[in-house]
Order: sequence, then C-alpha cells, then structure tokens
Amino acid sequence: MRLVRRLVVVAGLGLTAISLAGLPALAQKRGGTLVQITQPEPPTLGSYVSTANPVGQVASKIYDGLLEYDFDLKPLPSLAESWTVAEDGKTVTFKLRAGVKFHDGKPFTSADVQYTFMDVLKKVHPRGINTFAEVTAVETPDPQTAIFRLNRPAPYMMAALSGYESPILPKHVFSQGDIRTHQNANSPVGTGPFKFVEWRRGEFVRLDRNADYWKPGLPYLDRIVVRFIGDTGTRAAALEKGEAHIAGFGAVPYNDVKKLEKLPNIQIVTKGYEMLSPVVELMFNTKKAPFDNAKVRQAISYAIDRKFVIDNIWFGFGKPTNGPISSNFAPTGLYSADVTNYNVPDGVERANKLLDEAGFPRKADGIRFEITHDITPYGEEWRRFGEYTQQALAKIGIKANLRYEDVATWLKRIYTDYDYDVSSNHLFNLADPVLGVHRAFHSRFIRPGTVFVNGVRWSTPQTDELMDRATIEPDAKKRAALYAEVQKIVVDQAPLAWTHEISFATVLDKRYRDVIVSPLGLFSSFDRAWRE
Amino acid sequence: MTSSFWVRFLGNPRVLLGIIWLALVVIGALAAPLIAPLDPFAISGKPFVRPMDGFLFGTDSLGRSVWSGLVHGARTTLLIAIIATLAAVAFGGMLGALSGFYGGRIDNLLMRITEFFQTIPSFIFAILLVAVLSPSATSVVVAIATVSWPPIARIVRAEVMSLRSREFIQAAVTLGERDFVILFRQILPNALSPLIVTGSLLVATAILTESALSFLGLGAPNFMSWGFMIGAGRSFLRDAWWLVAIPGIAILLTVLSINLVGEGLNDALNPRLRTP
Amino acid sequence: MRGLRLISFIMTRLLQAIPVVLGVVVLNFLLLQLAPGDAATVLAGEAGGAPPEYVEQLRARFGLDKPVLVQLGLYLKNILLLDLGFSFRNNAPVLGLILDRLWPTLLLMGATLVVSVGGGVMLGVIAALGVRTWRDHLISVAAVIAYATPLFWIGLMLILVFSIRLDWFPTSGMEDVVAFHEGWARVADIAHHLVLPTITLSLFYLALYTRLMRATVLEQRGAEYATTARAKGLTERTITLRHVLRNALLPVITMAGVQVGALLGGSVVVETVFAWPGLGQLAYQSLFARDFNLLLGIFFLSACLVVIVNIIVDVVYVLLDPRIRVGGKA
Repeated sequence: MRLVRRLVVVAGLGLTAISLAGLPALAQKRGGTLVQITQPEPPTLGSYVSTANPVGQVASKIYDGLLEYDFDLKPLPSLAESWTVAEDGKTVTFKLRAGVKFHDGKPFTSADVQYTFMDVLKKVHPRGINTFAEVTAVETPDPQTAIFRLNRPAPYMMAALSGYESPILPKHVFSQGDIRTHQNANSPVGTGPFKFVEWRRGEFVRLDRNADYWKPGLPYLDRIVVRFIGDTGTRAAALEKGEAHIAGFGAVPYNDVKKLEKLPNIQIVTKGYEMLSPVVELMFNTKKAPFDNAKVRQAISYAIDRKFVIDNIWFGFGKPTNGPISSNFAPTGLYSADVTNYNVPDGVERANKLLDEAGFPRKADGIRFEITHDITPYGEEWRRFGEYTQQALAKIGIKANLRYEDVATWLKRIYTDYDYDVSSNHLFNLADPVLGVHRAFHSRFIRPGTVFVNGVRWSTPQTDELMDRATIEPDAKKRAALYAEVQKIVVDQAPLAWTHEISFATVLDKRYRDVIVSPLGLFSSFDRAWRE
Repeated sequence: MTSSFWVRFLGNPRVLLGIIWLALVVIGALAAPLIAPLDPFAISGKPFVRPMDGFLFGTDSLGRSVWSGLVHGARTTLLIAIIATLAAVAFGGMLGALSGFYGGRIDNLLMRITEFFQTIPSFIFAILLVAVLSPSATSVVVAIATVSWPPIARIVRAEVMSLRSREFIQAAVTLGERDFVILFRQILPNALSPLIVTGSLLVATAILTESALSFLGLGAPNFMSWGFMIGAGRSFLRDAWWLVAIPGIAILLTVLSINLVGEGLNDALNPRLRTP
Repeated sequence: MRGLRLISFIMTRLLQAIPVVLGVVVLNFLLLQLAPGDAATVLAGEAGGAPPEYVEQLRARFGLDKPVLVQLGLYLKNILLLDLGFSFRNNAPVLGLILDRLWPTLLLMGATLVVSVGGGVMLGVIAALGVRTWRDHLISVAAVIAYATPLFWIGLMLILVFSIRLDWFPTSGMEDVVAFHEGWARVADIAHHLVLPTITLSLFYLALYTRLMRATVLEQRGAEYATTARAKGLTERTITLRHVLRNALLPVITMAGVQVGALLGGSVVVETVFAWPGLGQLAYQSLFARDFNLLLGIFFLSACLVVIVNIIVDVVYVLLDPRIRVGGKA
C-alpha cells in the first residue's frame, strides 16, 4: 500500500487551538439550559435513516461524525484525529481518536466506523446510498485505524462526514435487530456532547450534558431542550418572551424575524447555512408542450421580478440568482456568474418578444395560452410565491390557474406522475454540487417515484458528461471549469428558472454565545455554546 | 305565514339591523366587479398600504387591494356557506325527523349512520375529505356539508322524540291521521325553532369552517374568500392589523346578522314566547 | 324494573356499537386509500430526496406493496385483537403514541366542557330570565362575537396580552421545560399552562351553549307545564329554575354529546397555537404524513369514545325526561 500524504491534519493539541480561535475575551461559563425550537417535530431521531431537517437539528447534538467543518467548508478533525487520501483517490485512511466513549460507557473503535458506513449509511441512509456508492470496504487493521477502499475517486465524500450527514453509531447497540426499525432510533446512543434523556411527543426532546465528553471541559451547557410549537405566531412569541432561545430554518416567518431583530434580547444570525445553500427554482415540465420549447422557459424566467420576490415574499432574506449553484460556492471556485442574466429591467418586453418568436401570439383576449401552476405546499411564502408567479405570467399573456395540494399529493404529481406544467421548489446544494446540484438535471436522476430529483426530465449528453467528469476530477481548477460550462448551458436552456438563493435566518437569544460556530449551524453539536 | 308573523319579525330592530347588513353583503357580492373593478389577486399597488391611503382598505403583503378581496371574497364565502348549510339541513333534518318519529328499528339504523359520521373528529374529517378530493369549491362544500349534518339530525330527532310523546300528537295518532301529515303539520312546526337556531348557527359555522380550511391552505385556490384573506394576513397580525381585522370583522358582522335574523325568526315563529 | 331495562339497553347499545366502530374503520381505511401519495413518498420527501431502491424498501417495510384488500384484512384482524399496529413514521407502536397524547387531550377537553357547559347554562338562563333587557342583549352579542372570532386570533391575542404584555401565563406548552417541576409544583405548573388554551377553546362552545340554552329556556317557558305552574302563582324565576331548567338542559346535553367527537379534532387549531400535545394535532400531522396506521388508530379511538358518550347522553335523557322511553318501541 503506497500512501502519498497529501493532506494531513494532526490534531490532539491542535484541537484546543482551533476551538479557542476567534472567541471573544469573555470567559465561558458552565451551566444553563438552551431551549431550541424545531419545526416541525421530527418523525424519528434516527438521523442515519432520515435526513429530514428536524431530525438533524436534534440528532446532531447526540452523534459525532468523523469530521467537522469550518465556514470555508474545510474539514477539521473530530472523531478522526487525522486522515490521508491516496494519490489515486481510491484509498482514504482515518486515524481515530483514542479514549472516546459512547453514552453507554462502551469505547468507540474502528469497528463502529466500519459498521456505520458499510452496514448502515451505505444501505439505508437516503443520501448515503449515493454518497458512499463507491466505497467497497472499510478495513480495520487496529481499533484506531479505518481504511476506506473506493472503486473510483469520490472527492465529494470528504464533505459528507459530519455528525449530521454521517453520524457514527455504536455497533454493539444497533447491529442487533433490523436497523430500519431499531428501537434505539428514538433513544439514541452516540459519542456527542449531549445525551438523550426523554422525548415527549408533541412537546419536547430533552438532552442532558454528557459529563464524559471527549473534548475536555465541554460542553458548557447543562441541557438542551428542543421544543415543538406548531404555530408560527406562538414561536415568535416564545422567543420574544425568552421562553425559547434559538430557532432557524424559517421556523419564524421572515417578517417576524425583522421585527424580533429590533428587540434588545434577540439577535439574528445568517451564518450557519453554508453547507445547505437552498436555491429557489421554477420547474418546467420539459417533456410537455409548450415547455419543451426553450424560448417559453426563458420568457418565464425573464418575467420573474427577483427583487420584488425577495423584498415582498422573503422580506429581504434572499439573493437574486440565475443559475443552479449557490454563490456560497464562490470561495471554492465552483460558482460561476458567467451565465445568461434573466434579472433585467426590461424582462417583460424580452419575455413577450420570446413568446412571439416561439409561435404563441396573444389572442383577442390578450392570452397566449393557459397553464396550471402547482403551488409548493411548504408554507405561506410559497403560496405567495405561487400567487405572484400567476400575476407575473399574466403580464406576458400566460393565464396560470393555481392548484394547491398537500405535500404527499404534490410530490407524487411532480416526481412520480410528472402530471404538471409549472411548479416551484428549492433544492439544497449541500456540501458539494455532486450531492446537491446534479440531481436536478442529470439524466441519471430521471427516476419516477424519487423525490427532489430531475422532475423536469431534462438532460443532454453534453451536460451529463461534463458533470460525470466533474464528479471524479481531483483538480480544483479543472473542476471549476467543468462546472462553469455546465452552468452556462443549463442557465441558457432554462429547464428550471433559478430565481434566488434563500438566506435562512437564525433567531438567537443574546444571552447565549458561540452557538452558531460551523457551516452546519443548527445541525452542529453546540458543544461550545454557553450562557452568560 | 300570517301578517302578525311579519309584524313581529320585521318590527324587531335587531332583525332589521341584521337584514340590512346581510343585504349589503349580498349586494356587494353580486355587484363585485362594478364596485371593485380591480382583480382581487392582481398586484395593484405597493405592499402594506394603510387603509384610506389611496386604497379604501389598504393593500396586503403583495400589494393586492383588500377592498377588492373583501367584495369578491363575499361571493365565494357566502355561496359555499349557504349551499353547504342547505344540504346539511335538508339531509340531517330529514334523517332526524324520520328517526325520532318512527323510533325502533328505523331509529336504530339511522342513528347508527349518524353516529358513524359523528364518531370521526369532524374538522379532521373535513380536512381529510378536502385532501382526498383535492382543494376546490366543490370539495369544500362537500366537506362542510358532510361534517355538519349529524348535529342537525340529533337535534331534530330529540325534539321529535319529545313531541311524539306529547298529548296532542298522541291524540292525532289516535284520530288516525297519516304519518307524514302528523310529521309535517304537527311535529315539524313545533320542532322548527331549535332547527332554525341551529341552522342559522350552521351558516355561521360553515363560514368559519371555510375560513379555517382556507386558513390551512385547503380553500379553493383560484377564488378569493374571507378565510383566504385571514390566512394570508395572519403572519402580519402585529404589523398590518387591517389584513386580518377587515375580513375578520366582515365574518363577525355577517355571522352576527345571520344570528339576529335567525333569532328573530325563532321569536316570530314561536308565539308562545310572548307570554312573559 | 326500570334499572334492569336500563342495563339491557346499555348492553344492546354496546353490542350495536361494534359494527359501527368497525364500519368507521373500514370506511376510513378505504377513504384513505383514495388519498394520493403514500407514507413512503412523504418520508423520502422529508429526507430531501432518495433513490428509488430506498423508496421501494420503505414501501415493502410499511406493507404498502400488498394489495389493498390484503392490507385491510390484516388491519381488521389486528384491530379485533386490539393491536393498532405500528407507526413507521414515528418508529413506535400506535397505541403508545395515542395513549401518550390521550391525557393532555382529556385534560383540555374536560376543562373545556366544564367551563363551556357550566358557563353556557348559566349565561343562557340569565339571558332568558331577562329576555330583551340589557343583560340579554349584552350576553347575546358577546356570545356571537366570541362565536364568530377565529380561534387562532383569540389565541394569539390572549398570548400577546396575558403572556407577553402582562406576563401572567406562559405562551405555550404543557409544562416548564427549563425547571421540570415535580410533584404538586408540577400539577400547579400544568394548571398554569392550561388556562389560556382552555379559555380559547371554551369561548366558542360557551357561546354555542349560551345561545342554545337561552332559546330552549324561552321555548320551555311557553310549555303547558310552565303555564300550569304560573297559574299556581309561582314566580317566573322559580318556574325557570325549578321546572324549566331540567327540560331545557336536554338540547344542551345533546349538543355537548355530539361535540365530543368534534372537540377531539376541532381543537387542532388551539393545540397548534398553544403547542398543546393533544390528539388533534397528532391526527392532523399523521394525515399529511400519510401515516395511516396512526390516523386510523385515532379514528378508532375517537369512535369508541363517541359511542360511549352517546350512550351516556341517552341515559341522561331518560333520567331528565321520564316521558322518553328506553329502547323505543312505539
């Protein structure tokens, strides 16, 4: 085995240095309870079988991952003290931390890593099935070493090893019985800073401090209670009154966030979503007339006034865009602004011209054609976005009838039956375009019955090939060039009209410090959070 | 209906007030395109314009006229409530009367059917129906009517049962009057007052249910309604009071008027009330 | 004699109830089959997208790959053994999930029934005694306003005023999750949390019972027996309180019986606003998650509850109004 050390991070002492860097001069204090609002209540706490947003917000306090990440998405040591990637990219060796104990007192070893990746994440984790598809084996030469063997290089894998995305499970607990219905899903055992105590359905999950946590002196907080409050107004009231201390992911409506920001006891944090990067898109059924015509799709993209949408529907928490890759990837070079700009002042005229050219003249009543717009069933701002789209389309002579169905029905219509004209959605870019962007327009992702993939059923051999090459390209510059080309093509062809990036906001009680310290925000462990 | 009925009915100032408001609402609904030419869904101005500032009732978060929403919304709201209530009263009343009058097996069977529908939590059942049928004006009417009739059936049955054992009905039975004559001539008129009270409250409940469904996003999406306006405005309860207050007051006044009229009808139909 | 008939009547009703309850289960089972989308799609959707193999795995695990009739047969068999099945979404047995939520539901329902029936009867009688006086007008108008104001609005306003401005009550939840009181302190804490949701939910029903009570009291006062009593020289007040009240309670009790089922589901809004961990919210969430085992379990339980309450209401009828015969052969 010829390992070439390309990237080595030796931690141990380094860890304390990292965790202390950039902290204010205030002395951290032990004690206190943090009340977090998570919406909706998670269906399970098994973050190894469900990547649902609320599951991650709770489970990430209980499970650690092999790695953590800084705000530039660079990996940091966690359960893995150091790691090396072989030059061919097909072997990754992790050196594991010694002396780490699970909440039940049993030691953490390489056998747990092997079990977690080979028997759980690769088999039942919704995204893990893709992310770790290339992993053929995890070898365990000794309890502190885990060697990943890969079929082909998978550089994106290194971005998916956080405690949120790939939680490390205790083999001795989960290997008995069926992992999918395991009783410990809802009474989780991990190595994280907080231990699971109780889940009272419809009310709260209680997590108490793990006194034996492997980071010396951490965590600072005594307890985290995750509360579930169904009503948006009440959530805002609980935060205002100080009964709850943190809420993110649009749990508080954007207009209320603005209002809460003015209160003396509350601050708004927009950091902590860098590994998610949601981009809002209008979806066109590209296999159905008239949306098989690129000009029609481009016209609609021109008709959307991004500023109006961001100002009046997302109340300023957004950023106009044209392409699928979020500007959060600018530091890594994967984001490209060299694409068609649909966000222009004369958008409506351009749209009208395109539609005339496409052969859809206005009839006597001023209408070119009639379509149905399916509203995204994810809450008020999406309804308003649907109603706004209806009005924007009316301006260019397209009569849109609105249809509103519940989540299950809508998912089936868009991603199984393809029985729609236009709808909207927002896909997370996640930690890498391979994980979050390819799915929207790669032909491999035209899969009836699978949600949040290529529901527009658009693809070209050219873009497929570019994305396939980018998947395994180890050189960052070359990879960026490949993605620049992909972005140029898909933005021009507009199988989806990307309108804006959502900037989620976290509402945070000012008495709590060092809560949002990673690009995973609410999906991180809060081990360094403390209360004044 | 005798002239004394009309005197008693219209002579009541509360009834008059109710009728005046309801007439205004109905006229507004009928003449909506004339008095509010702006499309209620159209973005016609700046968002959050306060009332009387260029727009009579201001605009909502997207800049849509609240006045247009109010008068166009009256159409949807009233139509859905009235149709649903008529269906529920006709069906529930018939079932209840038959059940209470005949008793025995028929009563058992019909009450089992009623129970059947009552055993399911009604609002959840309405949501279920709308979700299954896909939100539209028809599915909202069907859902409201389906969950509204059982109380009517129970009330009518209880009244009929009670009246059935009274002396004057027993006398009619002994005299050999035909069943439906007794039912319609003797029993129903006497059971009418609770039916009217409940029925008028039902129109109000239907308006409220429609608004609750719209509020949850399960209303008819291409029709402006009062519930829709409240649902869309609720996030702005504390910064743009008029978005919820105006349709809310419209619902309140309409429900109040329906009640005043229903109550007036009850008093007028029930001359025994004059005694004290 | 009457006691024996009463018992046999109750037994008959209970036996008759079995097919009703089973019917409810079958009807709802089939109705839910019509709903587009299934639990596997929703779970996969919540997970943020999943490969088809995964969705198929889920379906097989939930038993959704079997024919509908087979699924129904299995479900009915289990129900008869009182096994309500497993909620795959919650990864927990349905019965446990429901029982966890049952007592908060009963607490809120009980408090609401006491406040609304008690208050409604009282206010209704006061209004009727002073018919067409200022008391009557005030009560009637207040009742309609309470009735016509959207519940969520009342709830949010109560939170704004009594929780944020005055700081008398907590905004939401069932107990203090920072302190985690125990013993009597916990009872007091829960009672403290119960106040605002009970007021909100009661206002609606209070209005309903007030109006119904007023109408029936007025009607009953015109009945022959009241006229007779009046001829005996009894005062209007005595007639109402001694004779009329008992008869006028009938429709209110009917209504209250009818509304037990409605209360269970109708409190969705209040439970949501006050984050009260009740069954209404659970049912609402399970419908949208297509967690049909759980939803059917709630329907089953609510069916049993309503059947029992209806029998109680019928018994109360007999006790209040001896003219109504039990078992009812004409």
